[in-house]
Amino acid sequence: MKYTTFNQKIVNPLAEPMFFGNPVNVARYDQQKHDIFEKLIEKQISFFWRPEEVDVSRDRVDFQKLTDPEKHIFISNLKYQTLLDSVQGRSPNIAMLPIVSLPELETWIETWSFFETIHSRSYTHILRNLFSDPSSVFDDIVANEEIKRRATDISRYYDDLIFATQLWQTQGEGVHTVNGETHEITMRELKKKLYLCMNSVNALEAIRFYVSFACTFAFAERKLMEGNSKIIRLIARDENLHLTSTQHILNIWAKGKDDPEMAEIAQECKEEATAIFLTAVEQEKGWADYLFQHGSMIGLNKDILCQYVEYIAVQRMSAIGLEAPFSVKSNPLPWMNNYLNSDNVQVAPQESEISSYLVGQIDSSVSGDDFADMEI
Amino acid sequence: MSNRKDDAFHIDVVDVGCATSSSDKTLLESLETANIEIHFHCREGFCGACRTQLIEGEVDYTTDPLAYINDDEILPCCCIAKSNLKIKVPL
Repeated sequence: MKYTTFNQKIVNPLAEPMFFGNPVNVARYDQQKHDIFEKLIEKQISFFWRPEEVDVSRDRVDFQKLTDPEKHIFISNLKYQTLLDSVQGRSPNIAMLPIVSLPELETWIETWSFFETIHSRSYTHILRNLFSDPSSVFDDIVANEEIKRRATDISRYYDDLIFATQLWQTQGEGVHTVNGETHEITMRELKKKLYLCMNSVNALEAIRFYVSFACTFAFAERKLMEGNSKIIRLIARDENLHLTSTQHILNIWAKGKDDPEMAEIAQECKEEATAIFLTAVEQEKGWADYLFQHGSMIGLNKDILCQYVEYIAVQRMSAIGLEAPFSVKSNPLPWMNNYLNSDNVQVAPQESEISSYLVGQIDSSVSGDDFADMEI
Repeated sequence: MSNRKDDAFHIDVVDVGCATSSSDKTLLESLETANIEIHFHCREGFCGACRTQLIEGEVDYTTDPLAYINDDEILPCCCIAKSNLKIKVPL
């Protein structure tokens, strides 16, 4: 079906599936099929922040004091996160907007991607402060074998879906030959690609970020690189919300609350989805290996980090009904929670180096009790 | 107010122990006071880390839970007990 930016056909958005129905026409939110997405939009917008608000100037002094293995850990993680957010800043838009059918979900995808671009800009903010010319750090992201290997897996499912969607929207269902290669395009295959892509995105935001989050917060536990840690805390909070959104999408499908065909696909592809998560877990453990190859840092080593990856994987997989073959029961890095707790993110507005609050928010709910001590 | 008997409820945590709720604390805080280990991240209802199975009883949400939960699950970080509860925390 050809994509149109304003579908003039009269459609009932309440009867549309999340994806692969009619293209969205009116961006309206007065009636919603899945109102969770508008709630997520509101929450995400209330989280708005700018990298420049966070003062990272002290980090430059701290960075000089780090040992070489610690510098390697710090910079490698920033490179990896830069890659992740480069992908996330564009891919949900390119892959999902052409096939989305609900206005509230369309707007959520746009809001989500926008926040990823804030994350990308914050990495430049951090690196500009550490190096007078950070270009060698950025250049290495496309040259570094360890990062490239992960990039392949992260972008694969997106690329597959995007290419198949392009064929479908220009040529329709059927067998198409492009540059000597044949591609069979059916709606079922498209939906399967979407399902796997959503799992891959979910795994990315659920697991892939957490090794580098742990390293950042381990530096902060030693009162080092605290500006950076403040930024990463804001990023972690956003990522948690994004994760919630893909968990909702996956669960809505699996429970048959949207497109019944997606419920079948969720059943059918359970093993593939599990494999996507387990690959992410293995790659993150490999990443921990790479980080600590020149030596570890105080408070963190490869083993404990690998246990944390397993611990977080068990939770994330169970949230979407998958079983994880790991037995880590208790949190190996309990202090991580202090940084992932959003209460600790919100500080007083007058502290100018960080601001995460709603300006001029008015609580208009009035209950009868409020008048209790009033006399006429 | 918070010490009033009628808003303190008994929370039975299957295989772990028990706690007492109070209306000025979230269920998560009540469980923590009783030294019951429970996963958490955001403490604001949007991440889902504290997802817990509700076997018996009723809770009231202090904020709208945004994280995905099944019909038989609750988010202790943003709810308070409305009756005696029987819950199961993931171990």
